[in-house]
Amino acid sequence: MTAGFLLSVGAVAAVAATAAGRRLPRIWLSLVSLACAAALAASVRVLAGAGEWEWRSTYALAGQPVHLRLDALSALFLALLSFIGCSGAVFSREYWSDEHKPDSAPRGRVAWISMLICMALVLTVSNGLHFLIAWELFAVCGYFLLTLDRGNGDARAAGWLYLTCSHAGTLALFAFFSLLAVHTGSWDLGPMRDRPELAPLFWLALFGFGVKAGLFPLHVWLPSAHANAPSHVSALMSGVAIKMGVYGVLRFSGWLPTPQAAGWVLVALGASGALFGIVFGFVQNDLKRLLAYCSVENVGIIFVGLGGALIALRHGEAPWGILLLAGALLHVWNHGAFKSLLFLGSGSLMHATGTRELSRMGGLWRRMPWSTVLFALGAVAVAGLPPLNGFVSEWLVYLGLFQAAATRTVAAWAAVPAAIALATAGAVALAAFAKASSVAFLGAPRSDAAHNAHECGPLMRGPMLAIAALCILLAFLPSLLWPALMRAASDWNPALTAVALPAAMPALALIQATLAAIAAVAVLLLVSRATKTGVRRGPTWDCGFAAPTPRIQYTGGSFSGIVEGWFGWLLQPQRFASDPRGTLPTSSVRVARIPETVLERIVGPVAAFVTGASAIARRLQHGRLQAYLLYILAGVFLVGITVFLGVFL
Amino acid sequence: MNETLNLLVGMAMGLNLLALGSGRLPTLIRTVALQGMTLGIMPLLIEPRFEWPVVLVSFATVVGKGWIIPSLLRRAMRTANIDREIEPFIGFVPSLLLGAGGTIAAVALSRALPLLPEHAGSMLVPGALASVLTGFVLLIGRTKAISQVCGYLILENGIYLFGLLLIQATPLLVDAGILLDVTVGVFVIGIIVDRIQRAFDSLDTRKLTVLRE
Repeated sequence: MTAGFLLSVGAVAAVAATAAGRRLPRIWLSLVSLACAAALAASVRVLAGAGEWEWRSTYALAGQPVHLRLDALSALFLALLSFIGCSGAVFSREYWSDEHKPDSAPRGRVAWISMLICMALVLTVSNGLHFLIAWELFAVCGYFLLTLDRGNGDARAAGWLYLTCSHAGTLALFAFFSLLAVHTGSWDLGPMRDRPELAPLFWLALFGFGVKAGLFPLHVWLPSAHANAPSHVSALMSGVAIKMGVYGVLRFSGWLPTPQAAGWVLVALGASGALFGIVFGFVQNDLKRLLAYCSVENVGIIFVGLGGALIALRHGEAPWGILLLAGALLHVWNHGAFKSLLFLGSGSLMHATGTRELSRMGGLWRRMPWSTVLFALGAVAVAGLPPLNGFVSEWLVYLGLFQAAATRTVAAWAAVPAAIALATAGAVALAAFAKASSVAFLGAPRSDAAHNAHECGPLMRGPMLAIAALCILLAFLPSLLWPALMRAASDWNPALTAVALPAAMPALALIQATLAAIAAVAVLLLVSRATKTGVRRGPTWDCGFAAPTPRIQYTGGSFSGIVEGWFGWLLQPQRFASDPRGTLPTSSVRVARIPETVLERIVGPVAAFVTGASAIARRLQHGRLQAYLLYILAGVFLVGITVFLGVFL
Repeated sequence: MNETLNLLVGMAMGLNLLALGSGRLPTLIRTVALQGMTLGIMPLLIEPRFEWPVVLVSFATVVGKGWIIPSLLRRAMRTANIDREIEPFIGFVPSLLLGAGGTIAAVALSRALPLLPEHAGSMLVPGALASVLTGFVLLIGRTKAISQVCGYLILENGIYLFGLLLIQATPLLVDAGILLDVTVGVFVIGIIVDRIQRAFDSLDTRKLTVLRE
């Protein structure tokens, strides 16, 4: 079965699923699974070396002949899309079921499959105009998915912000593709690396795709959108949709020539974004906002890899460039997997407790053992700890950066600060997920909702288990994935010659396996000892306090206080506190809020100014006929004067 | 011949000022009608030879501008049953000053324009410019729909005067077409005036602001 046949099966199934989505949820699920399986099979075929699939039709859509292409680079993203798309669809059957959400569940199913179709189109179309159409439809589908819960004002506001930012990006893309078409004389896309005059267009593409990718500081829409969307939608948006932005930057930095500074800018933006993103994440008390900021961090890591590869291309030092690129590409998969797992896990927590606030959870591991284990697995992966997949790709990026630093060329100036920033970000990420896991799962329940929490059902657990299995698979089989990564890298830019798997990789897999085995043995020993000798339960030492309550526990704020202090200039926390006073203090309050600094301090004031200026300009539009005639007279007069000056002077 | 033409153009310019200064709708309509008839005679004076089409257009203009359009306006005024007073945005004295200033500026400007030698001594260009300006002042400075129609007619008269410069170059059919347009336009406006009256109980165009969105 060729990739083309598989893709057409997938397309037919997906279109049928759109029709079935409203009324027939079971058929919808089977069709979505079929479509995703077909797309996954097609991408695996391409990645396994079956060669790129290309299809040109004489049929013209919107005046342009249809041209589809699936090479290793887009197959890499398509594989992730189909896996997460299918898992999220299964998850939504229980999480956003017809019984709980009779109003929005049917809409959600149609929007879900439409979003998958549009993203698959973005990955496969090879015509600028069609790309724009698919891109726009993809953004709009994302909006409808995000605002499934229409009754929720926060979700609506997040949807507006998402739509606005998305369109700001699309505007840049309109300029990008139109200028490209003007320069090349055709909307057809493909490699055009021998046209140096196209290089400045890279900045437009970087802005347009960077907004979607959540590249710091263009990430302003991302935290609220990911936090307020239904969890399976957050998983898709964070795991896959922002990767479309990454894909765009990758695709067009590979196909078009890039400016001299492109690699440096990407490394700088990526490194600072990784650090600042996770710092913002660490201080959040909303679990999903924390995860959302963590996505900003991981996108930063991906961009460091890509930027490094661009610098390597400039300097002709391909070996470390391809390491960095492979790290970035692998991180696309890894982040897609573990972040979807975490978002689905947070969905399971919200399903059980009805809140996203960490300060209302606590003690959930007893009540939700499956979710706890799966979330912890995701947390270990996202923190970049061995033996899971996050470690592998970050390690590849580090390896590339260290090799670059060792060259002692100008590239070292980018590599060393980037490595330091990534290392700091990694440490903060570890702290952030230690905070999230411990506050949510350990200790005593902090609210009645947490006390009465229940484990999620099989339809929610199954997809999470599948994604967790993918995380483990990606961690232990880097040598199996290496040829696929090399194919994608050479599709990105053939100037990067494939290198053999770094010798350390198989050793790394061995170390990972050993570590995992040791951890498993340790857990087994602990469990067997506990069952043999029994566990004595008693109150923890409470400083002699007579009436301990669950509120006397470490809070999220206690974890992040010190980092909040270090980065106060960036976070600008807003605090309101009335401290307890006197011998017998009455009630006291302490409220802390972390604003989204870029949005509230930069984008907000600028937007307010534009709105104010527009309001002034709008006063000209008042409906008085006489004044409109005066405008015409003034206009004619001005034109007359211009012509007069032009002719007689 | 040229002196007679200039005299007529001068008369039209005087009528402009009269239109700006008149405070009652019937006077305004009558002024516009008179100006239209003055303009209608002009093709006969410009065309050196006697030609039937010219006579026909001239006759049609006089009848159209001097009789049909004013009677349509009067009828609209009667059926809408409106106040005969004109309510100005720009007062009569400022309007007159603007009109006079505009006329002087038009004369000065036409001196500066690079005209063909045969038009150099003619008052047609300043007359046309002055009428266009007057029309605009009326359109901008009056509130009632009918007085605005009159402003529009004067504006159109200015354009007609420009057209006379080209009478040898353009077929008269074009002039006839313009005339037909104007007549239909006034006819339509007459209907709209009636509708506005029914919808808003007034012909004050200021009330149209509620329609702006």
